[in-house]
Amino acid sequence: MAAGPYNYSYIFKYIIIGDMGVGKSCLLHQFTEKKFMADCPHTIGVEFGTRIIEVSGQKIKLQIWDTAGQERFRAVTRSYYRGAAGALMVYDITRRSTYNHLSSWLTDARNLTNPNTVIFLIGNKCDLEAQRDVTYEEAKQFADENGLLFLEASAKTGENVEEAFLDTARKIYQNIQDGSLDLNAAESGVQHKPSSPRGTQLSNDQPANKEGCAC
Amino acid sequence: MAVNMAASGEDQRPRGSESSFSSHGHSSRLPNSPTLPWDKFSNWLHCICVVTFDLELGQAMELIYPGHIKLSEKEKMNICYLSFPDSNSGCMGDTQFCFRIRQSPGRKAPSHTDTQWERDAPVYLHRDHAHYYGYVYFRQVKDKSSRRGYFQKSLVLVTRLPFNNLFNFLTEIVAPEYFDNGEPCLEAACHDIDQWPSPQPGETLSLPMMGMVIQVRIPSKQDKLATTPVQVIHQQSTSPIPAPYVLPSLHEADIFKCLHPVLPHVQMLWELVLTTEPIIVMAPSPTVCSETVLALTSMISPLNFCSDFRPYFTIHDSEFKEYTTKTQAAPPVVLGVTNPFFAKTLQHWPHIIRIGEMGNIVSGGRQMLKTKKSSSLKTIDAKPGVYTTYKPFLNKDKNILKRLQKGIASRRPNEVQTAMLKRYLLELTQSFMIPLERYVTSLMPLQRNVSPWKQAPRLKPFEPEEFLKTVEHSGPQLTSGLRGDWEGLYRRFFRSSNFEGWLRARQQEVDDKLQALHLEALCDADLSLWIQGRPEVEVVDLVLKLREKMRFAASNKVCVKDEVLHRLTLHLDGIIRALPEDLRTILKSS
Repeated sequence: MAAGPYNYSYIFKYIIIGDMGVGKSCLLHQFTEKKFMADCPHTIGVEFGTRIIEVSGQKIKLQIWDTAGQERFRAVTRSYYRGAAGALMVYDITRRSTYNHLSSWLTDARNLTNPNTVIFLIGNKCDLEAQRDVTYEEAKQFADENGLLFLEASAKTGENVEEAFLDTARKIYQNIQDGSLDLNAAESGVQHKPSSPRGTQLSNDQPANKEGCAC
Repeated sequence: MAVNMAASGEDQRPRGSESSFSSHGHSSRLPNSPTLPWDKFSNWLHCICVVTFDLELGQAMELIYPGHIKLSEKEKMNICYLSFPDSNSGCMGDTQFCFRIRQSPGRKAPSHTDTQWERDAPVYLHRDHAHYYGYVYFRQVKDKSSRRGYFQKSLVLVTRLPFNNLFNFLTEIVAPEYFDNGEPCLEAACHDIDQWPSPQPGETLSLPMMGMVIQVRIPSKQDKLATTPVQVIHQQSTSPIPAPYVLPSLHEADIFKCLHPVLPHVQMLWELVLTTEPIIVMAPSPTVCSETVLALTSMISPLNFCSDFRPYFTIHDSEFKEYTTKTQAAPPVVLGVTNPFFAKTLQHWPHIIRIGEMGNIVSGGRQMLKTKKSSSLKTIDAKPGVYTTYKPFLNKDKNILKRLQKGIASRRPNEVQTAMLKRYLLELTQSFMIPLERYVTSLMPLQRNVSPWKQAPRLKPFEPEEFLKTVEHSGPQLTSGLRGDWEGLYRRFFRSSNFEGWLRARQQEVDDKLQALHLEALCDADLSLWIQGRPEVEVVDLVLKLREKMRFAASNKVCVKDEVLHRLTLHLDGIIRALPEDLRTILKSS
């Protein structure tokens, strides 16, 4: 029997950044498990989530790095950002301070990733309209000025969560297709998996059932 | 071709199954975590309830023990109504029976001990994650001190485990003590249960209970099916401790006693239960109807009855409307009822078993040889029998009936009759299942297809038509002398939840096994060579996959040798050591 096909053609590395408590882990959990984590513990260090998605008929495995928002974590930021193909930058629409800090997060992202890294701005907690502290228009303008993709989303209701993760992947894939992202560059954050491996590559081997890939 | 197969297998994965999420907050309970009060109790029971008849309120929950246990309002209401006989059948004195209710959604997921239990225990003894069983001891006696002149109270054991005999016996000990002496008895009984070892498949346990010791063997998946292990009672004459009470079986019904009234139809009933046809059991008392329903669902053992069944069902049950609606076909469930009201409400049901008073059985015996049309059931005092227009797929086996009849004539003991009937049904079920098992074995991938560089192979899909082609030469006729339309019976079975449940369990078993083999293959692979020159993203991907494998191994669903786990840990450490220091820190902290 010939080597079976991979069930994905690319791995994209994503990172999620933003202040403490903006809902980074909840967004990740909503995306990978399609569930809202009601009382999410503070993230310590880094957590990983994976999910296989499809873009233009290609299966892509997303490897998502979720970090603690705390300042003390800055010690390991370099390796965190290294090789990220996508960065989701999150603020909380009900807390203006988390929005005000975006420029410093953006500086980090720009300095520590490569120029092709797709940065997506997410205004989380859009279900809490009554407590809104940052208008959509204001954030949209910030995103446009800085060349960022932007959506308001809710990890609680799931609104726009899929869209944010998938749009980022589409943009990365588009960059690969039009040649602006060089896959051979060491830090592209994208790993192409050849479709007919020569028996030395490790394929995906996730068990099919939910229990198998326990949290 | 092989490639296509793998690809099609992939498409069948449920959506979202390809995602995973690792988090600190989700670590499962460790096996060596300290035992808290009530931990051991909850291995056996959810809680004990006392239901009383309040003159103002009707049935009312008097007590839930232990006090921290929460039941939803709906669960409480169902327990209250189902703990009392539903008709004016005059259950004077003490009455024991069993019911089953739906759990309210949102209960917590199985814990660590469950996966182990579910690996080794027969599937029909698994914890029910959607239902509770209630084992009831109801007392109704004259009581001059009560305003109504009657004492009417029930003690109910609420549990997810279908250990029918053990729990019936338990209520028999605890309830009278409680009715006579009050709450301290309940406290003492619960304290005893909280000392019980957790149920271990294949072990004989000694369970202390209010001064006595109950000895019972917990069945195991590995048990030889045909022979029930014989209990040896050791005489402990020198010991000051009284000899334990040996419970002959944890769960098995006395099916001869229960099915005696409808014995001529036993083979047809087996077909109806096998294919999850809607069945109503009408009986004069909750005891008889609940025992009969449990006997029916056990007829296809070791196959698990996967559809809903309610040993005792009343008009107050929250599923009453859902199950008795006439706007759609009767649901594939088995209901036990006593209220004469049902004779009218459920007369459209396709199969009705009517069991009379125990005294009527002998006199009614002759009439029951033929099945009856349900139109004759309109009156509430209809004769006992099976009311159906069903035509069995298989020809009748007159031999077993003759043997059992002979036993009745010669007053052969019930246990012997039950053993004969059980053996007959077991052989019938096995004759039916062996061709299916054989076919599933042919769907197994080859061991040489398990490679560390590919994803673990999976069981090929079950193709009913392909299977039916094998029935012609290697079907049930090899092991059973019965003739008839076996193919028709298989087709009917494929539409039932029993088939679905069986296939799912088989697939799970095979897939778990293949995962374990894949794990071993990974162990033997040279991973440190593989990672050389690989980009970070791919190495991290490998680390995440290995961790997931280890979690799978630790979940206890499969037996993985400690050595394999140890070597996998070494692999993982080796890979992480080869990474740049900052990344190493990240992976260590995650």
